[in-house]
Amino acid sequence: MNTEIARCLILACGNTLREDDGVGPFLASWAEERFSASPNVRVLIQHQWTPELSAEIAEAQTVLFIDCAVNSIPGSVTLAPVEAAAETPRLFTHHLDATALLALARDYYSAQPGQALLLTIGAASLQLREAFSDTVSAALPEAQRTLEEAVLSLLDTARQRK
Amino acid sequence: MSQTITIDPVTRLEGHGKITVYLDDQGNVENAQFHVTQVRGFEKFSEGRPFYEMPSLMARICGICPVSHLIASAKACEAIMSVRIPHTAAQLRRMLNLAQMIQSHALSFFYLSSPDLLLGMESDPATRNLFGVVGANPQLGRGGVALRRFGQHIIELLGKKRIHPGWVIPGGVTEPLEQAKRDEILGMIPEAYANIKLALDWYKQIADSFKPEADVFANFPSLFMGLINEDESVEFTDGALRLIDPRGGIVADGITSNQFPEVIGEAVEPYSYTKFAYYKPLGYPEGSYRVGPLARLNIAQSMGTPLADIELKQFKQLALGPVQSSFYYHHARLIDILYGIEKIEQILTDPLILDKHVRATAGVNRLEGTGQAEAPRGTLHHHYKVDENGLITWANLVIATGQNNNAMNKGVLQAARHYVKNGKFTEGILNRVEAVVRTFDPCLSCSTHALGQMPLAISLVSSDGELVDQAIR
Repeated sequence: MNTEIARCLILACGNTLREDDGVGPFLASWAEERFSASPNVRVLIQHQWTPELSAEIAEAQTVLFIDCAVNSIPGSVTLAPVEAAAETPRLFTHHLDATALLALARDYYSAQPGQALLLTIGAASLQLREAFSDTVSAALPEAQRTLEEAVLSLLDTARQRK
Repeated sequence: MSQTITIDPVTRLEGHGKITVYLDDQGNVENAQFHVTQVRGFEKFSEGRPFYEMPSLMARICGICPVSHLIASAKACEAIMSVRIPHTAAQLRRMLNLAQMIQSHALSFFYLSSPDLLLGMESDPATRNLFGVVGANPQLGRGGVALRRFGQHIIELLGKKRIHPGWVIPGGVTEPLEQAKRDEILGMIPEAYANIKLALDWYKQIADSFKPEADVFANFPSLFMGLINEDESVEFTDGALRLIDPRGGIVADGITSNQFPEVIGEAVEPYSYTKFAYYKPLGYPEGSYRVGPLARLNIAQSMGTPLADIELKQFKQLALGPVQSSFYYHHARLIDILYGIEKIEQILTDPLILDKHVRATAGVNRLEGTGQAEAPRGTLHHHYKVDENGLITWANLVIATGQNNNAMNKGVLQAARHYVKNGKFTEGILNRVEAVVRTFDPCLSCSTHALGQMPLAISLVSSDGELVDQAIR
């Protein structure tokens, strides 16, 4: 589908109409602009992560997932390695998490990215509003810094594995 | 003592639903109902909005088939504007609608139903999913994922977004097609053909083994309705509606969108938030009918594309007249996909497809407008009234799932009566009852214009109202 293999694929999910749930799409859009000069960064933003994204993952050298987290401290920015789920989820058709997507890429395409990271921002509120809570707004500079460093690091990883 | 079985939520559907099976004193099925349990109200909250906002507002009803809402809504708006859109815009919309049909059907067939067909209705529910499919037939699974991606990528190329693209507007589309995008889509076509051929060949090999299910999966005579062209070929975006009887005789033909409200009524039942559409001259429920892939193939004499026409001929050999079992929605869905790929290829080679004139403009010239299109799961109708400033004063949407509602309920009852005996049932039996609903690929979000997540649940209830068993997923 893509003529060029993404060295770093950024996958974000969230609903921009549900307050802090939109932080993933916001950060991914920011990264798209920040790395617009680089053909090696591909950004895909969806409301939910769906199974066909596994094909994109299978074609990418590294992957950065971005999502809000409802079970983290509000405003906390966390970057952690993520691996394919050992056990496959029982029910999924419309939304998957990062571990399940990686598992699908493994099982369907026998492919895994060289490195996969998950960036999460703890959500404070998920009400119907097209703005972030004060807590998440205050965390955006740190999240952008972490995101930028993560992408640069993933591009390095991809370059070394080339 | 009679009992009730509840399947809550019914899984692998687009939306929230529940099935209740009522048993008599002997434990045999007395009645069964398919409940749609979500409520929303798009028709109400659109009142007061400018009519030109309606396509993008209505598209938010659904994340699976937003394009159908965009198109039906834009057409209703164009009736208010009294404009005819440019040829190129009509062709581009047709392609967008077909791309959506392909991705939606791929989701329905490969993600939601192929686990039953490939692994068996009685297989372990823990693996009866897309992961199980890859274990049993990785090529089929990958083909399904690729077909969904094919449809989504066309939507993304045309509308800039995979979901809720804003490209379709009253009067046409916002931007013409670029040559690079046309070439990219044409480059994807050969793989799409290979994947649908693989799926059709596989389906035709296994279909006979599901004859017992086909016999009781909503297998009864009914009316069928869908859009059709003047040459009696399948149509998704324009054309007019045809309604046929169970023997294939034409009941009504050439129904335009502004005639729709005169011939189609909507009944309400207390157990569901989805309405029950019916053909008014026959009344409710006698005038209930089916829409969607099965109906489209039953009403049409041809697909209008060479490869799909070959498949249609084979499909029509399944019965002497219209194919009645809803199990064959699966087969019809695959033929729809093949047609969609062929038609997209035809559209892209239209000499005017790169034309820059893709939008007509006008203000309010009429105070009422209607629009209709084929959504993946069947006919979709939008009807608006506006004041002289173009603000919506009234809106009504008639959704495919509402038009299939009576058939789904009858189908659930038929399957439950066949499989549930003496109050005894297994997970595999409940899965078959769910699978009847799944054949229709209902969109419960669309049917209630509803908000939220997607699971569905079965309850087994005794004759004195006691809940005997329940399957909740």
